[in-house]
Amino acid sequence: MTVTVDVAAEHIARRIASTIDPVFAMIDGWRDVLERELEGPFAGALTGASEPTAATLDPVVAALVSAELERDGTLITGAGFVAAPGFLVDAPWHLAWWLSGSNTFGAGPDPKLRRLEVVSDPDSEQFRDYTTLEWWRVPARTGTRHLTGPYVDYLCTDDYTVTITTPVRVGGEMAGLVGTDLYVARLEGVLLPVIRESGHPCTLVNASGRIVASTDARRATGALLRLDGLADALTPLRDDATATDAASLPGGEAVVPCGDTSLALVLEA
Amino acid sequence: MPQATGRTDATRAVVFSPLDGAGRAELVEQRLTDAIVAGVLRDGERLPSESDLARSLGVAVVTAREALVALREKGLVQTRRGRDGGSFVTHDRDAAARMVDDRVRALSRIELRDLSLHYAAIAGMAAEIAADRASEDDLASLVEVDARADLTTPGGARRAVGRFQLEVAAVSQSPRLVHEELRLQAEAGPLLWLCLREQYSRDRSRTARLEVIQAIRDVQPERARRATTDHIASAVEWLIDEKVRLEQAPTPDAVEASGGATPEGGRP
Repeated sequence: MTVTVDVAAEHIARRIASTIDPVFAMIDGWRDVLERELEGPFAGALTGASEPTAATLDPVVAALVSAELERDGTLITGAGFVAAPGFLVDAPWHLAWWLSGSNTFGAGPDPKLRRLEVVSDPDSEQFRDYTTLEWWRVPARTGTRHLTGPYVDYLCTDDYTVTITTPVRVGGEMAGLVGTDLYVARLEGVLLPVIRESGHPCTLVNASGRIVASTDARRATGALLRLDGLADALTPLRDDATATDAASLPGGEAVVPCGDTSLALVLEA
Repeated sequence: MPQATGRTDATRAVVFSPLDGAGRAELVEQRLTDAIVAGVLRDGERLPSESDLARSLGVAVVTAREALVALREKGLVQTRRGRDGGSFVTHDRDAAARMVDDRVRALSRIELRDLSLHYAAIAGMAAEIAADRASEDDLASLVEVDARADLTTPGGARRAVGRFQLEVAAVSQSPRLVHEELRLQAEAGPLLWLCLREQYSRDRSRTARLEVIQAIRDVQPERARRATTDHIASAVEWLIDEKVRLEQAPTPDAVEASGGATPEGGRP
């Protein structure tokens, strides 16, 4: 029984990873464009600038993210580039982040694509050092992409959100990161049909054990899945996005990481 | 992009969040008056421009302008012209105290209790769900809000209460509870947390916060709810005692005299 469950679980886990992969690929594409622009033989090709500035980089970022933010049926609701402190010569702290029209936060009566307003003056009382936040902290430590959430993003999208971020490297140093926000409700709509295919009670959780989607209607998105041994089984996912080893829990459940999404599938027999 | 907008101070963010049933200058005026009087917006602080204010509150620019004119007439805001111009908060303690007293007088006990009941329903439920849903990281951020609390001033204690309650609502993972928490903080907060004028109420707010944190750490939803609603109940008892004092002492000087007294019915 356990073996069958594991095979089914691994199949579904791969499908979940491949559902999110296009979003990852998109962010990786943005990262590649920015890295080429900032270093190497094509440096400055798009901006014509000899050193990195917010003034010249912002239009490049806007062009990268706006097409995807305005595409019909897109999963993402916000996207952009966040600079490492001190990397840009004209802006020590800088967020170049855009929100889509589906994101109504502070948008007024006619929401459309617009830039997120931020306080980037470190002397302001309202300033926040973003390098202490999970979506910066974890990718800065691991050097790879990270999925933060789900969480209620009351300071930005006003909704239930997942944020995916990946580092942009220049000269071996982290120059900043690119990332995107997704509404969990939209994500659930895409993921539920996939996890239903297993035929088993099946729950998708993040690395903290928080439920993203479940075939079991009593397992609410946002609640913590409390199973013996689950926290230990998820520990590798918190530190290393490439952890892929499946684990069995004392209760007979199988825990299978979904590729490098830092999400895991929990299959109950 | 969480917490990146610089609106790190929840009680402040509430001030500039969209108004329900928008379009009335009095609502804008009331919201800003409450924030100035409560010390959420500080003396000398520059307010957003008319157009920024209108956009964040979801009202027309003329409405925002009308509200600023009214605030200027009340002496709560000063407008300077020129390159470094704009509208600046002018906090006159006596004028502020009189305005709060007028508001407390204007609402009946029934209205005050009903408002606090509504707020307790939302905040209590948020705490109950949060106790079940908090991860280790969530717990750490609640502890941090408490650690950064400044209990030496009413404004500091007020901001800490606001931030903490909002963080608890966020931990509940419910966008609707978060939304209601924000809305009610704007509506009920300025009255309900008047008790934070007094040091023992500020200490009480910390005790309540630590109790909620402990309940969440121990995954005890009922205890988290109880600690939250008891705290709100003690705040409204203080407020109603204050209302009685105000009604019995019609001169503004009498308010000053009663400020240090221990109110009846206020639980330590």
